[in-house]
Amino acid sequence: MNLAYFRSLAARFFYRSQTENELEEELRAHIQLRADDLERSGLGRMEAERQARIEFGGHERFKEESREAIAGNFIDMFIRDVRFGTRILLKNPGFTLVAVATLALGTGANTAVFSAFNSLVLRPLPFPSPDQLVRIYSTKNGAFIQGTGNPGGPSPLDIRDFAQSNHTFQNIVPYDTWRKNVSFSAAEGAPEQMRVGLVPGAYFEVLGVRPIMGRLFTEEENQFGHHYVAAIDVRIWKERYAGSNGVLGQKIFINDEPYTIVAVMPQAIPEWMEPGRPGPVELWTPFASATDWSESARGARGDAALGRLKTGVSLAQAEADLSTIAAGLAATHPIDQGIGVALMKLVDTRVGTLRPMLFLLSGAVTLILLIACLNLANLLLARNATRERELAMRAALGAARSCLIRQLLIEAALISIFGAAFGLGLAQIVVSTFRTIYMNDLPQLVSIDLDWRVVIFSLLLCLATTFFFGLFPALKATRQDLVDVLKKGGHGGSSSYSSRRLGDVLVVTEMAISLMLILMASLLIQSIARLERQSLGIREEHLVKGHFYMPPVRYPDSAAITRFCDELARRVRSLPGVSDATITTLYPPVNGWTQMLDLSDRPVSRIEDVASAEFGVSDAHLLKTLGISLLRGRDFSESDAADGQPVALINRAFGEKYFPNSDPIGRQIHIGPPGFLQIAPGATTMDNGDVTIIGVVADFRNRGLVIPPQPQIIGLYRQHPIVNYGFKDFVVRTAVDPRTLSHQITEQLHALDPDIPLAEVQTFDEIVQRQIGDRHFITVLLSSFAVTGLVLALVGVYGVVSNVVSQRKRELAIRMALGATRGNAFSLVLRRAMLTAASGMVLGVIGAWGGQRLIRGFLFHISAVDPTTFIGACIFLLAVAVAACALPAVRALRVDPARLLRQE
Amino acid sequence: MGNEAELLPGTLDLLILKAVSLGPLHGYGVLLRIEQISGRALLIEQGALYPALFRLVRQGLLKASWGKSDNNRRAKFYELTSKGRKRLRAETDGWNRLVAAIASALAARPQEI
Repeated sequence: MNLAYFRSLAARFFYRSQTENELEEELRAHIQLRADDLERSGLGRMEAERQARIEFGGHERFKEESREAIAGNFIDMFIRDVRFGTRILLKNPGFTLVAVATLALGTGANTAVFSAFNSLVLRPLPFPSPDQLVRIYSTKNGAFIQGTGNPGGPSPLDIRDFAQSNHTFQNIVPYDTWRKNVSFSAAEGAPEQMRVGLVPGAYFEVLGVRPIMGRLFTEEENQFGHHYVAAIDVRIWKERYAGSNGVLGQKIFINDEPYTIVAVMPQAIPEWMEPGRPGPVELWTPFASATDWSESARGARGDAALGRLKTGVSLAQAEADLSTIAAGLAATHPIDQGIGVALMKLVDTRVGTLRPMLFLLSGAVTLILLIACLNLANLLLARNATRERELAMRAALGAARSCLIRQLLIEAALISIFGAAFGLGLAQIVVSTFRTIYMNDLPQLVSIDLDWRVVIFSLLLCLATTFFFGLFPALKATRQDLVDVLKKGGHGGSSSYSSRRLGDVLVVTEMAISLMLILMASLLIQSIARLERQSLGIREEHLVKGHFYMPPVRYPDSAAITRFCDELARRVRSLPGVSDATITTLYPPVNGWTQMLDLSDRPVSRIEDVASAEFGVSDAHLLKTLGISLLRGRDFSESDAADGQPVALINRAFGEKYFPNSDPIGRQIHIGPPGFLQIAPGATTMDNGDVTIIGVVADFRNRGLVIPPQPQIIGLYRQHPIVNYGFKDFVVRTAVDPRTLSHQITEQLHALDPDIPLAEVQTFDEIVQRQIGDRHFITVLLSSFAVTGLVLALVGVYGVVSNVVSQRKRELAIRMALGATRGNAFSLVLRRAMLTAASGMVLGVIGAWGGQRLIRGFLFHISAVDPTTFIGACIFLLAVAVAACALPAVRALRVDPARLLRQE
Repeated sequence: MGNEAELLPGTLDLLILKAVSLGPLHGYGVLLRIEQISGRALLIEQGALYPALFRLVRQGLLKASWGKSDNNRRAKFYELTSKGRKRLRAETDGWNRLVAAIASALAARPQEI
């Protein structure tokens, strides 16, 4: 390899025709010069030139050899082969289309799932040394503590103690997000509800995120009262402040209180990291709270906690370290008894609940790829069989075997490149569709896209597929005995034993796989239908809910909040089209607040035995508005006044668990931790005093759609001033389409207070949809994969039967000529195909039976081996398989046997 | 015909290098020069010359330029590069050693063993 080589190569590549001309001219000059000499020796000019040409020898052959010598010939021959290959493929558009489409479907599905895997598992987090970042969760008796929606972390006080006494972390910080009313200037008017991150300045240091402008929160600003500073995201900076440098020092209003902007932060923190409700966080204030840092709030767990490990420390070491500290805390603080920690790498929390789904989907697409591979192998084999004569002819004319193999491989490569291109396009469509649909429910999906890893993956997958399945047919096709093939005179090629065996393998495998995919998809579809259709325990239709927040600046106490809520509810109830309305903190399907209880007749001394229930507060219209039936006792009434005897409703589950043998009506219970935990009564939000049970209501979903209803206790917010926060939801029952009323409800709210934004307006259908977003996601994906698999399998079976029929055409024609009916011939072909298909389905049933463990976790109220589903799927698949087998047989046998025989 | 010899494989390149080393030549000229310096004893297929020439150009042993022949025809002339000159020396030495060795082997008589 030297410069001259590259120069001649480049010349060859870029100035092809010029080189060609020069070559021609040089050879011609040679002949002319020789002819000149011959002429001088006495020949006539014509004769001399003729003689010179003869002496020169095979002109074209030497030209060809010269070309190879000039360019080192590789690229040249490659270009020629590619041209030839393209021409061959275009001459068989049917074959090419099916092959490329098969490959595109097979690899497209795999690419889509791989891109999800890539962005959820493989792609590194956008932080420096992301492997050191760890989420810290709190456990109680070994089980995760529930935060808002996801597992929660230790209480801020416990986190502080962890941070001070550990040996394995650089730092540990708590963080949380709250919904707050935000306006960016006093002049701007009505605030909007935003999700505000509550973080100490060290939160950004732990993540390694530096402000674009300004400074992080100081330690002092984490103290309540000094916390009126805010950091804004670069998106807000650009949209609201046009990227102005003067943004630092500006005031924004959060819950009607002014905060000074001290920093502009880059858009670096992904949404899935945020605890609680969905929605991006674009605004942060210090992690300061009037109550959280006091000793009485040590049991207030559920905030998120994040730490950065010291260099070289393993997750297990860190967990052991914090567990030791937790054991110490449990010894000194009774409220920490039974409380432990669980650590997880931050990167592993990204995939979260989607991990098992990703595995299931990967399995499904691998099966689809297997179908595609088999189809492709069969397709290439069948095609090479029909090309045997062409290949044998070329070999007989002197083409080297390596030449033929190279040619076949180049065709395979062309198919794979086109397949990869279409597959990538397909994957892009799938990915962007799902990203758009599920982004709100599954924030991890925001970052899913096709990056270079995905493109490489897809290309390699296609090349591996076609080469593996293209190479064997190629080798086989070129190893034929030439004479033999040519002698056979092209009667549709070899009906060889191995190609028929491949056909059988294909039919069995593809039938088995598509049966399994169909089974999975139909089980999932039925599960989600059952989830959607199941009763929440209320009458869901004609209900709408919304969220609002009364900031403490203007609503400082329980009385003010109660007054506002009662007045709002009264106004909404009087709207035309509204049949009832309630202001509440609880509504199905998730209550979201678990409360320790002290039942006077069940004294306990160990924290494991402390009774607990879901707890929420509402006004007196909850049951009537939601349509929850009262089983015993009485409903709340307006006469249960704020200063009256506090009353409560319990659900049936509560009664069954805590009053199995007695009448709960009239019993007193203490809503708060029992005395041995040494929490001063009334000191914290954990203690809500004594209540008298006045009624038992029917169970409704309060822990999501999958878990059965848990014990529930409902109080009146006016009787529980400690937890009568400004956070409230309204639920309105309407006589008309509830969506048409949301505008009027907003008007009523703003008539009372124009500075309270209304947010999260949803019907209960929408709430349910959001709850099952992840199941919906996997169901839709798996179903589309099942359809893809089925289509591919049918194409495959069709192809195999077509081959068999075309190979047996002569035999069948003879049989018919000798008196067999068309029906006889037909059933001869069909019987074998259907037998193979049926054995494939048996295999599929066995496979589904064996794999039930994989899918059980995604099912709801249906067995993984539901007999109706199994039988239905088998019948369906059998029916379409019959169609796929019968079609080619019918088509082949429609031909007149006499004509068929004459053709031969 | 009786006193003509087939070329040994691989010797054509050496002959071309030698022919060109005596002065720039076009393809036909190379052919004539080899005939001349070999005393018309070597048989070369005319067309086979060109692939060999192009190969030597690609290897950087020859360089080519267009010019006019004696009888005023446009033709491509080849001359040695310095690398080609070195290669010619090396190959000539190698050939001489080979010939000497084979000649000595063939001249051996029984009593000398």
